[in-house]
Amino acid sequence: MITNPYTLVDWSGIAPLMALAVTAIVVLLADLVARTYAKRWAAIFIGGIGTIAAAVLSARQYGTSGTVFSGAFALGGFTVVFEEIVLLALIGSLLLFATTMQEKRVAGSVALMLWSATGALLMVGAANLMTIFLGIELLSLALYCLCGMNDRVASRESALKYLVLSSTASGFLLFGMAFLFGASGSVELSALTSAGLATSAFLWTGSALFFVGLAFKLSLVPFHTWSPDVYEGAPMPVTAFMSVATKAATLAVLARFIYAALPTGMASTFLLPLWILAGLSMIIGNLGMLAQTDLKRLLAYSGIAQAGYLLVALAGTTALGIRYTIYYLVAYALMNLGAFSVAAALSDDHEAGSSLSTYHGLAHRRPYLAAMMTFFLLALAGLPPTAGFLGKILLLATGVTTGYWWLAALLVIGTAISLFAYTKIIRVMYARAEGKAQPEIPQSSILALASVTLYALALLAMTFYPLTPSNILPLLR
Amino acid sequence: MILLALILVPILIGSLLFALPPSAQLASRVVGILASLTTVVLVLLARGDDWSLRWLSRPFTAAFHLGLSGLSFWLALLLTVVTLSAILACNALARRDLIAQILLLEGTMLGLFLARDLLLFALFWDAMLLPVFFTLLTRASHVTTAWRYFIFNFTGGLALLLATAAFGVLVGTTDVIGRSDVHVVGAWAPWILSGFALAFLVKTPIWPLHTWMPLTYADTPPAMLAVVSAVQSKGGLYGFIVIGLALFPDYMKAYAGIFIVLGAISLLYGALAALAQSDTKRIVAYSSLSHLGLILIAIFSFNPLALQGAGLYLIAHGIFTAALFLSLGFVEEREETRSLVRLGGIGAANPRLAGALCIAALAALGLPGLAGFAGELVLITGVFQAHLLWVAILALIPIVLASAYMLRLFQGVMNGPQRSDLPVRADLSWREGLALAPLVLALVALGTVPGTLLQSVMK
Repeated sequence: MITNPYTLVDWSGIAPLMALAVTAIVVLLADLVARTYAKRWAAIFIGGIGTIAAAVLSARQYGTSGTVFSGAFALGGFTVVFEEIVLLALIGSLLLFATTMQEKRVAGSVALMLWSATGALLMVGAANLMTIFLGIELLSLALYCLCGMNDRVASRESALKYLVLSSTASGFLLFGMAFLFGASGSVELSALTSAGLATSAFLWTGSALFFVGLAFKLSLVPFHTWSPDVYEGAPMPVTAFMSVATKAATLAVLARFIYAALPTGMASTFLLPLWILAGLSMIIGNLGMLAQTDLKRLLAYSGIAQAGYLLVALAGTTALGIRYTIYYLVAYALMNLGAFSVAAALSDDHEAGSSLSTYHGLAHRRPYLAAMMTFFLLALAGLPPTAGFLGKILLLATGVTTGYWWLAALLVIGTAISLFAYTKIIRVMYARAEGKAQPEIPQSSILALASVTLYALALLAMTFYPLTPSNILPLLR
Repeated sequence: MILLALILVPILIGSLLFALPPSAQLASRVVGILASLTTVVLVLLARGDDWSLRWLSRPFTAAFHLGLSGLSFWLALLLTVVTLSAILACNALARRDLIAQILLLEGTMLGLFLARDLLLFALFWDAMLLPVFFTLLTRASHVTTAWRYFIFNFTGGLALLLATAAFGVLVGTTDVIGRSDVHVVGAWAPWILSGFALAFLVKTPIWPLHTWMPLTYADTPPAMLAVVSAVQSKGGLYGFIVIGLALFPDYMKAYAGIFIVLGAISLLYGALAALAQSDTKRIVAYSSLSHLGLILIAIFSFNPLALQGAGLYLIAHGIFTAALFLSLGFVEEREETRSLVRLGGIGAANPRLAGALCIAALAALGLPGLAGFAGELVLITGVFQAHLLWVAILALIPIVLASAYMLRLFQGVMNGPQRSDLPVRADLSWREGLALAPLVLALVALGTVPGTLLQSVMK
């Protein structure tokens, strides 16, 4: 007789994931019975409840440690922190469905996004190669569909482009994993730490290919070309979700790998190419922003640069570095969600909020939204008094202390360039719009205004009361 | 806690003003006047206070550390008085946004002068750029001006930020302003100092980084300009004194030559350029470049007397620049032009305005008995004592030139026959008089009894 090897402990370890997956099914069922006018809000409401439930279930595991499912999924502070960031992105993006997306597609989109977030949570906790791949594919498969959830041609193009390019990247990733497996004879990440592997050609080849796959997901230069096109075409909530959740989950995988799964003592030489990519991203991403006339494209390039910033603090693989990375990641999540929320508040199904012409003279028509957008853009640029400012100080300080001063210098140069691009939008918003035809701006809902205010307050509070999680190491075992 | 309130009152009230309907101009002016009056009282109450709260403990320690003593007290007092005058000077056409931005500017700049922590200093340094930037931005014809202001000053701010981070890592704490036991040495120190110096030179401004200044000064509304020119420009010199001299004395000395040369060029260039301008605001803008160059020389002459003189002249310059710009703002309101070619003869119909402009201009050219003279005298004596003979002699030339351009400005506006194509308007109202009165009184007071300030400014 075959007995089930997994106990209740295993299942409770992945309770947040199950909560999301089950909620997705409930959303679809509720859509069958809900009246037409209630469909949109039923989906958002149920999705939101499920997300909050997952967040609570996840937070309860903060003090725990160890792995479940025979070492496939790691529990502990690191997993919890990244899970909460993904869930923050999820609930923020769900709220954007209130104004964008056609009524009949909301429930399907919400369900897909919940499944996608399940994949992200799986990546965050993944402690072996198979779980990482499973998580990435679950995340991506749902996103391919979500990108095409709009009638615009650009949306279809976005879905197809993402499918083709992302599958190629997955190929690299899988190929790399095969080599890593060949090197250690195990799918466990912890098996890679044995010192004897330092000279193994399999390990070097495998991790190079593995990093290519992750760099694609993080949209690091030169694997970034997909992201502006995909961001531009995808519906607004999906873009918001992709820009935060995908980055957070991939960063979690990357951090776990470079902190815990490399043979000891080889981090500095071994990871150098990765830091060079980060440096390139900071410069090229910010330069790319300058020419954009579409907000989503602009934020895509901004995301490329911000991914580079995030890696600066990881470069020394110090315990403090990962904490500052998390701090900046939370700030990045809040400012991106804030910017997208303002854009969504200006949009209907046609997504007027993604075109910069909508913002012309916005300060005179919607002063509050314009002021909030200004705040988020200044935060992205790293100006005080926002968490973007303190976050950059922490990243810079870490970069300088760990000896990666050249990364710190590139961060400063990148920031200087980015300032032109972010303030370009501010200039447009505060310009007088006389004699120009103005697109209609829908009435903004209380929900949109409240969420935008909350993001801004959170960014402000983080500046003056910087909390970084201390209970996140070790990342494995 | 008073110190915290001092920063928060203008910032919070300034932000809340945006909640008023744009048509509530009278209400916003009254609120603005009350708020700025409160800050004057708070500065006087809080003299000598010190307040601190932990902010960061890693990667370096930083604190919300505020203090109000010595130079920062006098600069804070100058700032609050000038702000009060500036808001009083706003006429009924002033928009709600302008009052709000002036209050925000005041709050962020109070933060700068009160900060005893480098990181807090950097935070307020960047934050104080924003109100001016947005004011310039919302005035449609001046978008390029706004950009030039922002790009120049923010590049400086970024250098300051990098220097602060490097300082924190190197020293382990940024809670160092006003401490005398921290001296930064090592291979990195000159680089950190140069980061700070770049920000300070841009902000002051000093040749050749001054090119943003004439445009900004010409396009900023007079009320805000009074605050910007009188106090914001002092941020850089204040930084050289409390950060440069206190934390990097060796390197300041080693590179003093460069700064003295830059200061001397600004001194001469500013004076000559002021002679050639026909826009009244630009004349004062270039005169400012010249005067601030003189203060820079004094700071880098490493003589206690010169430094005291610099402190006195910083305050004096703030007062007479504010008075000049406010008076010229009133002239522009009345005659709707700033061009010396068109202006003339309005002194006959506006004797009180002419009197105020006259005292401010005389203080600027260094007439004995007014604040400018006391400052210049002590300062140049100090530079002589420091054996910088040729620099001191060179510094005398612009003082002569100052008489030329200041009298040209005054005579061009006030004297001569009345122009028939310009409107004749009423003299200063009691409100406008009240705005100028504290500044004019301060000029006379500091010119006759500068002792109190001289003794306490560089403690």
